[in-house]
Amino acid sequence: MTRYIIRRILGFIPVLFAIALFTFVLMRAIPGGPFDFAGDKSLPPQVVANIEAKYHLDWPLWKQFLSYLIGDDLLGEEGTSRGVIRGDLGPSLRYRSQSVNDIIATTFPTSAQLGFMSLMLAILIGIPAGTIAALNQNTWLDYVSTFGAVIFLSIPNLVLAPILIWIFSLKLGWLPVAGWGAKPPYLLGFLPQPSQWNWNYFSHAIMPVFSLGTASAAGIARLTRASLLQVIREDYIRTARAKGLAERTVIVVHALKNSLIPVVTILGPAFAGLVTGTFIVEQIFGINGMGKHFVQSVGNRDYQVITGVTLVYGVILVIANLLVDITYAWLDPRIRYD
Amino acid sequence: MNLKKSFSFAFAFLMIASLLLAACQPQQVEVVKTVVVTEVVEKEGKEVVVTQIVEVTPEPEVVEQPVTLDWNWGTEPPTIDPSLATDTTSVDVIHNLFVTLTQFDPVTGALSPYLATSWESGEDADGNQTWTFHMRDDIQWVKYDPTTGETSAVMDDEGNPRYVTAFDVEYGVKRTLDPATASDYAYVDYIIKNGQAVNEGAEGVTVDDIGVKALDATTVQFTLETPAAYFPSIAGMWVNAPMPQWAIEEWGDKWTEAGLINTNGPYVLEEWIHGGELNLVKNPLWINADDVQIERIHGVMITEASTAFALYENNELDSTGVPLPEMDRVKADPVLSAEYHSAPVPCTYYYGFTNNKPPFDDVRVRKAFVQSIDRQGLIDNVLKGGQIPATSFAPPGIFGAPAPGTVGLQYDPDAAKASLQEYLDEKGMSLDDFNAMGITLMHNTSEGHAQIAAAIQQMWKDVLGVDVKVENQEWKVYLTTIKKTTPLDEMPHIWRLGWCADYPDENNWVHEVFNNQAGANRLRRGCVDDTCTEATPLKFDELTIQAQQESDPDKRAELYYEAEKQLAEVEAAYAPIYHYTSTNVTKPWLTRNFPPLGGVDFFNWKLDMDAKLAAQGK
Repeated sequence: MTRYIIRRILGFIPVLFAIALFTFVLMRAIPGGPFDFAGDKSLPPQVVANIEAKYHLDWPLWKQFLSYLIGDDLLGEEGTSRGVIRGDLGPSLRYRSQSVNDIIATTFPTSAQLGFMSLMLAILIGIPAGTIAALNQNTWLDYVSTFGAVIFLSIPNLVLAPILIWIFSLKLGWLPVAGWGAKPPYLLGFLPQPSQWNWNYFSHAIMPVFSLGTASAAGIARLTRASLLQVIREDYIRTARAKGLAERTVIVVHALKNSLIPVVTILGPAFAGLVTGTFIVEQIFGINGMGKHFVQSVGNRDYQVITGVTLVYGVILVIANLLVDITYAWLDPRIRYD
Repeated sequence: MNLKKSFSFAFAFLMIASLLLAACQPQQVEVVKTVVVTEVVEKEGKEVVVTQIVEVTPEPEVVEQPVTLDWNWGTEPPTIDPSLATDTTSVDVIHNLFVTLTQFDPVTGALSPYLATSWESGEDADGNQTWTFHMRDDIQWVKYDPTTGETSAVMDDEGNPRYVTAFDVEYGVKRTLDPATASDYAYVDYIIKNGQAVNEGAEGVTVDDIGVKALDATTVQFTLETPAAYFPSIAGMWVNAPMPQWAIEEWGDKWTEAGLINTNGPYVLEEWIHGGELNLVKNPLWINADDVQIERIHGVMITEASTAFALYENNELDSTGVPLPEMDRVKADPVLSAEYHSAPVPCTYYYGFTNNKPPFDDVRVRKAFVQSIDRQGLIDNVLKGGQIPATSFAPPGIFGAPAPGTVGLQYDPDAAKASLQEYLDEKGMSLDDFNAMGITLMHNTSEGHAQIAAAIQQMWKDVLGVDVKVENQEWKVYLTTIKKTTPLDEMPHIWRLGWCADYPDENNWVHEVFNNQAGANRLRRGCVDDTCTEATPLKFDELTIQAQQESDPDKRAELYYEAEKQLAEVEAAYAPIYHYTSTNVTKPWLTRNFPPLGGVDFFNWKLDMDAKLAAQGK
């Protein structure tokens, strides 16, 4: 197992390199550069040249990419880039006093807290709901659960979030309209400080977590139901029953555990997607998360920011997928990686 | 995993969940102080000292709340470095942190003294125009210490407080023009002697050759390339603010962070959580500190207009913009309509014509398209924010701008039809032939632009019977598409843009935007390639150059009137549509202004904190 994990981690390197290369090339392939215009005003070519020289955008593309990857000193050039290999994701071209590392350090923790809580909510609702539906197939419990899942899957959070704000903040006055209860500096770089673990923090989190978590919960519930329905018709379930095991043991130990394999499979990408931030929910609730940088940096042609946040997403995705694969071995004893 | 184990898991989970839930509850601690009271009482004619322990529930401590404005910046300011700022949010922050040589009166919009108390123009030995500014000497450089919450004076090497001097202004101007600074707006200083040469990195000139010099600590002199009557407005722009050389050299790109930045304006930067909050506190050492009533600005960065509006309704913002979908409700609601205000903003929305692309190479077609736009109808039914219909380019408040509606082509469906018919007759075309030319209107992707385009497309259909195809592109792609270098068959016939004032003078409008040599010439008037400088200049282009060099204000205004008329009415080279407004709601406890040239100056606002706290139920 250890050798397998090491082999997988080494496999991350070409994957991340490919992500960086593709993002770099794609961003530069679309028309328009970061500094051609200030607002509606087109800038004189010399002004643009000065700015591009400052950020080395006047270099040939291969050299810009190497500078981004390994740093200016290894390239034998004057410059400040230390390269992605040494953890320097470069300067932001739009927010000119910040580096991409600054931006990620400020916004990622918030997104990660929100995303993690949403995923927990999704699992805590989704798996029990799916199980109940499957075990009571074609009864009212099944219909209610399926109906709820369809509703929550089909209401986009673009709609759900403003409705929640209108009811719980403006009409009832129970929850704050917008914002996030924790501020940097964060504990260990991503957790709220212990002094911020209070009602203020959770009251700000409830609506965004609910908006974000319910759609995933509905997806998980549907998947759990379908998978469990298949598993409980398997021979080994009949065997377990024939051995005289209690029904609860049959379901929890034998059926549910095996039926979780497809659920776990989607949890990897869902985790990566949620903890790196979601544009719409963060925007509606005014949360300073990383989601906006995936969208706005493309519009701003902020090359380093889009590559940086994509790399963060990539790292989390490959790690999450590795954890998923390890979980397979635990869920299904037939799977061996050695 | 056996059953027992899974139950213990469930149990452990429940324990953790209940702990978390418990932690969620607001803490209510009964505060009871025990106090030892010693008093002298008279007992049976004798004085006895009695000591007793009493339990006292203390009066709730009244914490004096600073007068705080809850504000929404709307977005993260890309920078608050005066040399680098280009957008309104950044400029708004800078305006509250830094003084500039001149300013615009927040009520009248007139150019008025600020750091400079007076200024005059002259001529140097070579006959170049000079502008000399005499500055006040009592404005201090300050810095804010986030650990102590104190604002203190910045000291020089000898331990004396630093005052803002002409040398700081000279440094600021040179820094903006230095190519190493890579300032976007350096070009507005190209009017200064050698400004362009230095910024372009020309041989044989250095930063020291730029025509700005501190004659003494309170006098700074600018030498210009060409005479410019509007130069005092340029001198007051943020890019020419005095800047703290010592701090910039010490901290580099990070000098604008909270705790490092040195400023000299009415407010200091308290905290800047990038993308989240930017908070200001009053500068106690400011020259007019007694007049600055709002002590703290709590500024969030909510991008979503409907969320900001919800915060406003919940008394969490003191003033905010009205999102278009809420406009009808705001106007109908008795409370909100009283809090509503629509203020002009010095910006103009227009449709440009590609003047060398058939059929828009013919003035009759352009006139027909302009005269069939019902601007007031568009404003009443689509925009709804009390915008001003525009028939010429520069909005009211800009020097030289004609009064709205006095110059240019009004909505006139009959004239429009006649104009198009005359063109069709001459060319021997039918309307179907005309429509077969596939006329395209392009705008950058945005719901608002799409609504306007749809409305105007319908007006053209109704009045002229022409079919116009509407297309849109992502902003940066769009800006590349409508460059004058784009091949003619890829260029749309009609395209939208807007323009906002950098400084309130027509030169910033008709000359910098539409002069076919000075501007981007997206209208493709006259000769379009860069090599044809010898062609006879068109009347409009001559007028804006003459006006630039004219020093008599009345004559300048007359020339600009002619220029506006020439472009919008005679050539009908573009279709001005409306002058922007900002639509805001403001809580009754906040007294704010709406400067005619836009911007926010918190130091001129007043806020009744008691009324605000009462409304919030605190």
